[in-house]
Amino acid sequence: MLVKTTETNDNENNTEKMQEKLQEIKDQEGIIGYILRGSKSASIDLKDPTKIIDYAVLSSTAFDAGSSMTEILQMGEVDNIVVESEETKLMSMNINDHRLSLFMEKSVDHNKLYKDLK
Amino acid sequence: MNRDPYAIALNNALNEIKNAYPDIKKSFIFTKNGTIITGDQETDEKTMNNLLESFENLKEKVKAIGTLKSFHITAKNGQLILSNIQDMQLLLATSKNADKTQIYSITHVIIPTILKTLETLETFAPTHLQVTPPKKLIVDTLGGFFAGDSVQIDVEILEDWTKNNDPRARVKAAITGEQDMQESIDRVEIETFGGNAAVCKVKEISDQNLKGKNMIRIPEKLCKTLEINKGDLVKVKPAQ
Repeated sequence: MLVKTTETNDNENNTEKMQEKLQEIKDQEGIIGYILRGSKSASIDLKDPTKIIDYAVLSSTAFDAGSSMTEILQMGEVDNIVVESEETKLMSMNINDHRLSLFMEKSVDHNKLYKDLK
Repeated sequence: MNRDPYAIALNNALNEIKNAYPDIKKSFIFTKNGTIITGDQETDEKTMNNLLESFENLKEKVKAIGTLKSFHITAKNGQLILSNIQDMQLLLATSKNADKTQIYSITHVIIPTILKTLETLETFAPTHLQVTPPKKLIVDTLGGFFAGDSVQIDVEILEDWTKNNDPRARVKAAITGEQDMQESIDRVEIETFGGNAAVCKVKEISDQNLKGKNMIRIPEKLCKTLEINKGDLVKVKPAQ
């Protein structure tokens, strides 16, 4: 029971740290916003709130497609997914039992963000 | 799966790439509207269809941020890379630590070059990769001291053959963008309906009165060899 409480506290601390990092990242140039989903809650911060639904659907589909494809190819668990359009980029990753999708302009270095977050 | 020459050529290319780059585990090419062109020999059709289905779902939702240009999945035991190449999509499954430079050379140099070459050949083939058909010409004999050993044919026929001559050189010119240097025909193959044949030098008909009459002027000596006479029909085509 004690161990469980400690694990819960650790997870909460990690989530808080991650959200702090996300707040910093959000203000960086070229960042459009993020969607962070846990098992019980979700936080969304996007520059254009009218796109929340579309972006949430895209985020969810990216995770589903990623797991489905890696399962077909027996590649194991997904670490991260990067989807690029002409001007925009989405990086999705599993982190601390959360699913994070970070939307950014294409010029942003997603590898650097990935290292900061992991 | 598509089995036309275009698909077979791409299939061979993917197999060779897989042999040359051991980090490539699976690969296949499909069109933007989701038609599978071909995959490497170890990627079965069911796998390709399942991957394509997942990809099509994602592609549809990506419209929220624009048109899908590429995606990259890093997993515990490998990577999955989709690249947009001209009007095609190339999906590569690689080992986790695949060399980025190698992947870049495949997606940005090798496959685009192969696609460009195949498209050029495909566009080109119907009109220029054909074999020059022989022409049936009426024999006229060339006699006298200056008859020489060359046959004479209308200049229009020689020009027509020149346009269709050496398809490989024309394909090369189309691919490299260089001017097609057409060489004139200097030898022809004559075949009689009796089955005799000979290759000899050719010139254009010099006698103005005999031009445009679908005629071939053959030295008498060669006529004897070929067992033909004035007025006979022979089949003539450029010599290879």
